[in-house]
Amino acid sequence: MNKFQYFVKNTWKHRAHVVMALPVFIILLLFAYVPMGGLVMAFKKFDYTLGIWRSPFNGIENFKFLIASKQIFLEMTRNTLMYYVIFTVLGTFLNVALAIAIDQFIVKQAAKVMQTLMIIPVFISFAAVQFIVFAFLNGDTGIIAHLTGVNYRFYSNAKYWPAVLTVVKIWNSVGYGSVLYMSVLAGIDQELYEAAEIDGANRWQKIFHITIPSLIPMITVMLLLSVGGIMRSDTGLFYQVTRNVGGLYSTTQVIDSYVLNAIFKNSNFGYVAAATLFQSVIGLVMMLIANGVVRKIEPDGALF
Amino acid sequence: MAKKNLDLAPSGKKQKFTIGQFFLGLILLLYTLFCFIPVLLVVTSAFTDEKTLSKNGFSLFPEKWSMVGMNAVLKYGKQLAISYGVTIGITIAGVVIGLFVMSLFAYAISRRDFEFRKFLNIYLIIPMLFSGGQLSCYIIYTSMYGLKDTFALLVLPICVSTMNVVILRTYIANSIPEELMEAAKIDGAGEYRTFFQITFPLLKPSLAAVGFMMATMYWNEWQNALLYITSDKKKPLQLLLVSIQKSIEFLLNNTNVPSSVKAAMGGTIPQYSSTMATVLIVVGPIVIVYPFFQKYFVKGLTVGSVKG
Repeated sequence: MNKFQYFVKNTWKHRAHVVMALPVFIILLLFAYVPMGGLVMAFKKFDYTLGIWRSPFNGIENFKFLIASKQIFLEMTRNTLMYYVIFTVLGTFLNVALAIAIDQFIVKQAAKVMQTLMIIPVFISFAAVQFIVFAFLNGDTGIIAHLTGVNYRFYSNAKYWPAVLTVVKIWNSVGYGSVLYMSVLAGIDQELYEAAEIDGANRWQKIFHITIPSLIPMITVMLLLSVGGIMRSDTGLFYQVTRNVGGLYSTTQVIDSYVLNAIFKNSNFGYVAAATLFQSVIGLVMMLIANGVVRKIEPDGALF
Repeated sequence: MAKKNLDLAPSGKKQKFTIGQFFLGLILLLYTLFCFIPVLLVVTSAFTDEKTLSKNGFSLFPEKWSMVGMNAVLKYGKQLAISYGVTIGITIAGVVIGLFVMSLFAYAISRRDFEFRKFLNIYLIIPMLFSGGQLSCYIIYTSMYGLKDTFALLVLPICVSTMNVVILRTYIANSIPEELMEAAKIDGAGEYRTFFQITFPLLKPSLAAVGFMMATMYWNEWQNALLYITSDKKKPLQLLLVSIQKSIEFLLNNTNVPSSVKAAMGGTIPQYSSTMATVLIVVGPIVIVYPFFQKYFVKGLTVGSVKG
């Protein structure tokens, strides 16, 4: 019996499992795989009446256009990367710091209640968050304007937004992000701490020599895996929280929000598709590299 | 964490509440306030008198309280009720469909002697690595499938996620003994019966974790709604928030809006307190429900981080 016959026989024996896998297979096919194919649009002169498949090819025209319009393209790529770096570096640092702080605090009930409150922001959609941000920042009734007596004109000054978006992102995600690290801390062998105490280690020494080293594998894995999303952004943060104000685009427009705007404005779809393809390919390459690295240093953390 | 608490007691020395602990507690408290005050602000401004609000600005301690904001929400009344229904509907449909198809798939690919599972595993991972992007999705869903303005687009595109299938698969591999399934088969149960009567019920803890995370995602989803939904009857809550914001913008940017237009917009001319009241009504349910699910999703996160 050759391999193929064996495979067919095995699949027939497991026909019930094939049927079970079918619904997800179809959903992914329709809503993930077919749109991937739709990216051929990047090499076409898109005509809505003809649709994606029948529009004529135009080679790399769209990519030439993309490079020619470097102002917008560079700006949104720069913003995307800039926010990725800020959010990842600062976010990881705060996630870990918060996890350790909660873990060290000995009044456990209080720590628990505080943690519950800290996680709440992650459950508020950015469509709602933008109203809260508006309540702080707007010039008429805003809390900041009333407390300081100065109207900073946040919604017409692009320079404030990297700071504003970073604060909003931290508010939104750090409480939730620390949960994962806390679960690692809970798994540390307590005897390590006791042994260190016998050796006369103080609290800080224990943190630097036991707690942090035991978090390193998880930090590495999380950092490397986030690399795959380097070209993607939390669209809600950049589209909703900024109220999509055109005057702020120089510091707030990222590739994802640009594409969303392009769809509503019906702009040159071939060009937008070229930008998307660029984004997806970079993402794929980074992900494969990151996974390769994780596989080398922490095989259990690798995704595939 | 439970283990830790136990460990503290038998070691015999109770930790002292030192100055260091005091400052640590203070820092944690400050951070908690940073997280919680904005949430509290939604509540207080929803119940602030509109005149006080435009005079003194948003505040945690308004001079004058009022129910007017809440009453104004009732003016959106019908649309709000419809949107609530839509959001609840797509959340339930999405979670039920998603959990059902994903656990079937996870069960199938965790059968070890099933050769085809290697292909299915790769098929599952690829969408996480590469995506067609919003534009491609938009054109294909609307012009090729012709699904514009349907509930299907709010539910189906996001009901399956690779990460969630991996969480379920890991749970099946680690926590449901193979022998149970074998025993059921020996007793004459077919594949489907084994799944529905043995595996599915035992999946409950991870279904709760994944289900809650999915419910939050569906409840907060605005992007697909903004792209695909055009009729008021199908507007979910988040899209309602977006359109309230758009109409505020419209009024601010057009000082010479004719009064007839304003009249046509009727009670929907948004005011600060009523807008916040709407935000409160949209956000409230998730915030209230979440503490009950906290232990499940903490578990879910942990399970998802361990590869099966």
